[in-house]
Amino acid sequence: MKLPSTTKLPLTQRVKEQGTKTYLGSIAVLVALLLPLLLGINPYLLTVLIILLVFIIYASAWNFLAISGQGSLGHAAFFGIGGYASAILAKSMGLPPLVTMLAGGLFAAGIGILIGLTCVRMREWFLAMVTFGFAVIVHTITAELSWLTGGWDGIPAKRLIPITIPNYILIEYYLVLVIAVLVVAFLYLLMRSKFGLALEAIRENELEAKVMGIDVTRYKLMAFAVSAYFAGIAGALEIHHFGYITPEVYAIDISFLPIIYSISGGLFTIAGPVLGTIVITLLDEGLKSFGWTYGRYILIGLMLILVVILLPKGLVSLPAKIKSRLKSGSAPAHMPK
Amino acid sequence: MELGFLIQILIWGLYAGCIYILLAIGLNLIFGVMKVVNFAHGEFLMVAAYATFWIYRFSDFNPYLVIPLAALILAAVGVFIERTCFRPIRGTGKLNEIFLSLGLIYLLQNLVAVVWSTESRSIHSPYSNVLLSAGSIKLPLDYLIIIIVTILFLVGFQLFMKQTTIGRAMRATSQNREAAALMGINVERMDMISFALGSALAAVAGGLWLTSGQLANPYMGSIPAIKAFAVIIIGGLGSIPGAILAGLTLGIAENVVPFLLQALAALFGSELSFTAWKDTIAFFILIIVLVVRPTGIFGEKGE
Repeated sequence: MKLPSTTKLPLTQRVKEQGTKTYLGSIAVLVALLLPLLLGINPYLLTVLIILLVFIIYASAWNFLAISGQGSLGHAAFFGIGGYASAILAKSMGLPPLVTMLAGGLFAAGIGILIGLTCVRMREWFLAMVTFGFAVIVHTITAELSWLTGGWDGIPAKRLIPITIPNYILIEYYLVLVIAVLVVAFLYLLMRSKFGLALEAIRENELEAKVMGIDVTRYKLMAFAVSAYFAGIAGALEIHHFGYITPEVYAIDISFLPIIYSISGGLFTIAGPVLGTIVITLLDEGLKSFGWTYGRYILIGLMLILVVILLPKGLVSLPAKIKSRLKSGSAPAHMPK
Repeated sequence: MELGFLIQILIWGLYAGCIYILLAIGLNLIFGVMKVVNFAHGEFLMVAAYATFWIYRFSDFNPYLVIPLAALILAAVGVFIERTCFRPIRGTGKLNEIFLSLGLIYLLQNLVAVVWSTESRSIHSPYSNVLLSAGSIKLPLDYLIIIIVTILFLVGFQLFMKQTTIGRAMRATSQNREAAALMGINVERMDMISFALGSALAAVAGGLWLTSGQLANPYMGSIPAIKAFAVIIIGGLGSIPGAILAGLTLGIAENVVPFLLQALAALFGSELSFTAWKDTIAFFILIIVLVVRPTGIFGEKGE
């Protein structure tokens, strides 16, 4: 899974690429800002869009951990921990959700560091198993601690914006949009920073990274903390949008979705999880409206398999791939091992 | 009552452990030869349970005789999936294999859900009323069959790997792929055989699981398979004795630990039930073992 790193390109091209990225990003944000004007204030569509934004945050958080070469199969744990911590704090202390959300994220990050400590030295699929198992354990703990979490019935969570305010769902949409843009921009800067480059170096070759003086354990743990923090924020946003939380937030699907989004969009890139979340959510909602209850997952599974085999850099690499194929007239020759 | 009940629970654990062992041996074989991690292994178990169900429905044979046929079908399915999915991404990294099997899980589960609905299916074993009893302990004949079949498979598997040319070639491939290829072993054929065998073992597990009275539904495979993964990690990658020991331990611990905890809680006058914790025990053991010994109990190769 070696990616050509952008730092090797000539400076002019790098600047150009940076320009294109900012340009595309601004267009995306502009479209998102104007969307409610085009669609009207339709509660169903706005709910779909809010969840889409939440999952953009969540998938970007998962992807950030993957940059360090750690593929988690249990991110639902952090999503749910952030949600429960925030809901319980908001209920018991009477604080507004926007404040408790930060606490929920911090709580998830703390747990993330703990689970990261057992994971840092593991090979990829041991880590996948441990994180998966961790999500199952957290799920059971939450369901059993009914005095705190309400057990299987869950507990009510304060709404992000009280329903009494007119057009509350529209305000909620813009609020979540601002948060999503801030998070994605922050993760982008982090990826471009020394920290992000160190994580990439660790993924490409851990031993070489260590030789270059990178503190592998510390960086991997920090990646876990950042990833768990934003997964927790995403979880808190979702449950404060719905107004309740149940152990269903730990469903196995919730762990798998950010992986599917990130891979189909483009692993290890900032645009990948964003694009993947948009494409798959729209596909999913579209097929659902046709009455495809299970059929849509067949399609999504098939798409995941095809992307892994044929387009390992995801949908974001599609334009470049088409361009190069048109230019050379044939598929690029495979490099010998 | 207590001791008899404990032995009864041990028997349940032995029975569940056999299923884990059958799955784990197949996974170990595939991992050993191909170095591939197939998280969709449990979906093979699920498809096999459905194959057993439908062949039984239409033929009315003894379900135990149907299982070999289901195993053959699944071996073909396994070869197909190895060819189309896992071979193209060989050597591109472990993460890709995890992601690909994730796609397979979605694909197979929902394909079955669409074709045969999510309704639970079950088979009436011809021996479901036969109980071998000694005092207060009762051993259903179905459980005994499963335990015997598992032992037979383990012995047969060991003989196959040690005594036959193909078995030796597979072990050579798993030890050093390049050297094995240089010695004239067709390593890609070994991949194919290992996938076929692994899938067939999962099919046997699925057929036995269904026939012994469990329900078949599209999601039945995930949890046993993920536990089988825990089993091969706990036992040590590639270690057959490790997988047997870990599989039995897990099967028994899953049934005994909730019972013991409940008895303990009762001593303090509490009526807590711990049955909900059953599915978490595998992961508690997994995390503890990996923290203490990152290569598993019988694992030799470190990372």
